[in-house]
Amino acid sequence: MINFTFDGKAYQAREGDTLAAALLRNGIGLVGRSFKYHRPRGIMTAGVEEPNALVTVGEGGRTEPNTRATDVFVYEGLVAKSQNRWPSLTFDMGAVLSVAAPVFSAGFYYKTFFGSAKRWMFYERFIRKAAGLGNAPVEADPDRFSQRAAFCDVLVVGAGPAGLQAALHAAEVGKRVILVEQDSILGPSLIRDPQELDAAWIEATATSIRAKGGRILTRTTASGYWEHDLVTLTQRLVEPGQVPLNGVSQRLWHVRAGQVILATGSIERPIAFAHNDRPGVMLSQAVCTYVQRFGVTPGKRVVIATNNDDAYKTAHALTAAGAEVVAILDARPSPAGAESGFAVHNDTVPQAAKGSCNGLKSVSALVNGAVKSWHADLLAVSGGFTPVVHLHMQAGGTLDWNEPAHAFVPAASRQNVTTIGGAANPDPVFALTHASDPKKCFIDFQNDVTFADVDQAWAEGYRSVEHLKRYTTLGMATDQGKLSNMAALGRLAQQQGVAIPEAGLTTFRPPYTPVTMGLLAGAGAKDAGAHVRRLALYDIHAAKKPIWQPLGYWVRPRAYPVGGETLAQAALREARAVRTAVGMTDVSTLAKFEVSGPDAAAFLEIICATSVAKLAVGRGRYTFMLREDGFVFDDGTVWRLAENRYLLTSSSGGADRMATIISYVRNTLCPQMCVSAVNVQEHYAGIAIAGPKAKAVLASLVGEDVPRHMSTSSASILGVPVQLLAASYSGERAFEIYVEASHAAPVWSACEAEVTGQGGCLYGMEAMEFLRIEKGHLVVGGEIDGRLTPHDLALDKMLNKTGGYIGASGLSRPALSEAGRLQLVGLEAIEGTIAEGSMLISRTGEAPLGHVTAAGIRIVEGGSIALAQLKDGFARHGEDLIATSPTRNQHAKVRVTHPHFYDSAGERYRD
Amino acid sequence: MTDVTITPLAAAPIHAVEIWGNPAAVAARFKAATGFALPATGRSAGTDALRLIRYEPTVWLAEGDVGTLPAILDDDGALTAIGGGIVCIRLSGPGWRALLMEGGVFDAENPAFATGDSAATIINHVAVRLHVVAENICHAYVPLSYGEAMIEYWKEVAGTLNI
Repeated sequence: MINFTFDGKAYQAREGDTLAAALLRNGIGLVGRSFKYHRPRGIMTAGVEEPNALVTVGEGGRTEPNTRATDVFVYEGLVAKSQNRWPSLTFDMGAVLSVAAPVFSAGFYYKTFFGSAKRWMFYERFIRKAAGLGNAPVEADPDRFSQRAAFCDVLVVGAGPAGLQAALHAAEVGKRVILVEQDSILGPSLIRDPQELDAAWIEATATSIRAKGGRILTRTTASGYWEHDLVTLTQRLVEPGQVPLNGVSQRLWHVRAGQVILATGSIERPIAFAHNDRPGVMLSQAVCTYVQRFGVTPGKRVVIATNNDDAYKTAHALTAAGAEVVAILDARPSPAGAESGFAVHNDTVPQAAKGSCNGLKSVSALVNGAVKSWHADLLAVSGGFTPVVHLHMQAGGTLDWNEPAHAFVPAASRQNVTTIGGAANPDPVFALTHASDPKKCFIDFQNDVTFADVDQAWAEGYRSVEHLKRYTTLGMATDQGKLSNMAALGRLAQQQGVAIPEAGLTTFRPPYTPVTMGLLAGAGAKDAGAHVRRLALYDIHAAKKPIWQPLGYWVRPRAYPVGGETLAQAALREARAVRTAVGMTDVSTLAKFEVSGPDAAAFLEIICATSVAKLAVGRGRYTFMLREDGFVFDDGTVWRLAENRYLLTSSSGGADRMATIISYVRNTLCPQMCVSAVNVQEHYAGIAIAGPKAKAVLASLVGEDVPRHMSTSSASILGVPVQLLAASYSGERAFEIYVEASHAAPVWSACEAEVTGQGGCLYGMEAMEFLRIEKGHLVVGGEIDGRLTPHDLALDKMLNKTGGYIGASGLSRPALSEAGRLQLVGLEAIEGTIAEGSMLISRTGEAPLGHVTAAGIRIVEGGSIALAQLKDGFARHGEDLIATSPTRNQHAKVRVTHPHFYDSAGERYRD
Repeated sequence: MTDVTITPLAAAPIHAVEIWGNPAAVAARFKAATGFALPATGRSAGTDALRLIRYEPTVWLAEGDVGTLPAILDDDGALTAIGGGIVCIRLSGPGWRALLMEGGVFDAENPAFATGDSAATIINHVAVRLHVVAENICHAYVPLSYGEAMIEYWKEVAGTLNI
């Protein structure tokens, strides 16, 4: 026996029991409360379509609310709790809402909660309390979630008799087969309805499929069917709330199948009559399942209501289990059921069920014009069968109407999917008529929607089934209308005076059954769905305990505090070291492309908006790139390493985008070019050394022959080959040293020793930001935000006058030359400190004229400065404005200036 | 049970070889100089000294001594060093195929993906190149910055392959 608890009370289950079976075994009929009216609800089904028996399973981070008791198998220590009740399941204060049910009819929410925003703030407090079923866990889920791909020739969904046979056939002809079954066992319908194909046949078939290389997955639900016959499967490796042995609780499969065979069967329909939602009213096949599979008899005195032959199997199973079938109410005319040996009442449907919150007491029906009542503790109902067509519809399929079965069946599909078995050929049924009070006939048990609600929606003008669904909430929530949709469609069609197929259908969207968020996140849940890219020199940085800063997928040192410094103190010290002595930093993340071949220069002149061809060997220059619409999207440097070999660098954050553009130009625009463009971003680690003593540091490392500003040369440090680029982002004489990443560590250490020996230090991103702002250098994502042209950024003089680059045509649009454009300016604080992101206004209350893209300080002298985008900024130098950041409550008086605050003549680059 | 072992290999020279013109002539020069033909797309060829793996229509990845290649390529192609940015991870044991299905989109379980075959794919959002070295060994070439994360991911996954 297996021990579990429900609402804190200990019970025992048998091996293989679902929670629903175990609760029934322990005589528990009341399992939950309905969403809107808090009506008592029991167990209605034995499968994933269960609308009533929703419970919270598990504890702590493993808590799963809204778990169907029919879809969780009991394990030792399972903890289950009922939902939507207070203070207890049997005495629920919320049940008072049931008395007020007439007020809470369809559209109550829309008719009541309207008006001003202020009123909504009042309503919201109550709505939030009342909304939802169950409570999400507040602790993090400690388990892992696997996501795995699989490929097969044939994917079979559903391991009933049809699915098993289809999978066996495919395996026998040499196909790669995957067979999935949402239950924990194969062939569950054969256990419920033993036929010629018994358990031994199931076992033999499964063994054959596996022996031929087929993969069989149980507790696995095909949750979605996507384009190109991609089907997602959700596999429960352990039950909800259970501790997994290997740490992995679920697996999401992405299966790409050559062919998909759907053997998904059908779902039995309930029958509408007064109080048909009471505990003790169950679907007929569910009753049969509990009897035949779990050895649980849900009632002793049973009434069965049906419109088909299948329910008679339940009658026989109940009788064999010792229960008394006191009456069968068969909607069909005589002689249906006459040979069964049971007390059959033809032309009869239930009129009402009576009982308490714990169970059923009697069933009444109109028999030959008179009301007849039977004492019963169980009413098994079968209103026909609804084929499970969800996956077929998600695959883009269409449906046909099967009149004998009163059901939609799969028709054509644009994908390679076939439906077989009961889902394709449902049994014929007899059309039901309903004579009970529509206000008491529930059709959507989960959302407390009655026939009366559908009628009201119709009366209020809701004609489309999609509108009906949203107005009444029918078919929403965890069961997605698996039991209710056909009943609602029938009622709507009746109101419209049309046949059901003409009434329309709602959309079948994935997932078929609820999927946990953790499973969708998979391994990415740890890092918000993204990896952290490690610098080649990560360990060296980490040893210095820097403050790290995320930059795209990378993390880079933001500052290296010493002696308890704050970030600002450390950054200022580092920046001053660069201004006064020397500093070094890691620039490995910069995008880098090696471009080779006779057409290399021509190729680069398509990508870069500046000229390249005239660059001498050993020289480099600043460059920038435009989108096709003429706006600047990135910048960097281009270096001629040899006659036909160039190195292009661009921003770290834009590296992947630049790689995409280079690939596009190479393979699509210029496939004929004799050129090779290779992404070497990670091949080279980059070390920048900057400051008045940078040249001395480098000279001590590579000898006196260091390149002059914007020149490049090859050298070696400690015998390791390096490429030296004399370029500056800081505004000081500076060098970038590129070294093969796998050999970067000793080169870094040698550089650091020289830098510190010269009185310098390491500097991080924060100091780099101070330095570049003071110098007026641009950053992608700040000043280069995709909205400014080269002219707006004062780069137009550098444009390649011969044109031919991407964006040249877009740049010629007249609108890009009109007045009123945002332009790059500098700002100097006259009073106060400028906050990044501040709006620029001339007077309080006026519309913003621009905004601050980056705020910094004068590194040596002090004083707040900033770069900004300002409307007609070039003409406003000298003008005084207000930089205001209401969200930070920071305001400063500023003067518009040229954006270069430091060495605008570039004197410090020269030796 | 873990039936795959994940081992990062020591850094070694890797180059990208791109041919932009006269492919037949380059192929002939290549075979004459090396003794083996340039491999077709999705295949590898070579010796212990030099092995080429083709991942793209005009690009091969070359492992080993590429000293002869500049002369073979002449003005019809280029050789670019990329090895500093790549970590080669050896996946050994019968479970390597199942391992690559985790977080993957490529059919590594297809028996037709056999010794000498190569593929470029995405695994756990990372661009990875695969090369089947032997029935029970596959090499995965991973960008250096993602190397640690991928090794950690694969080691974690390796323990869960059989559940």
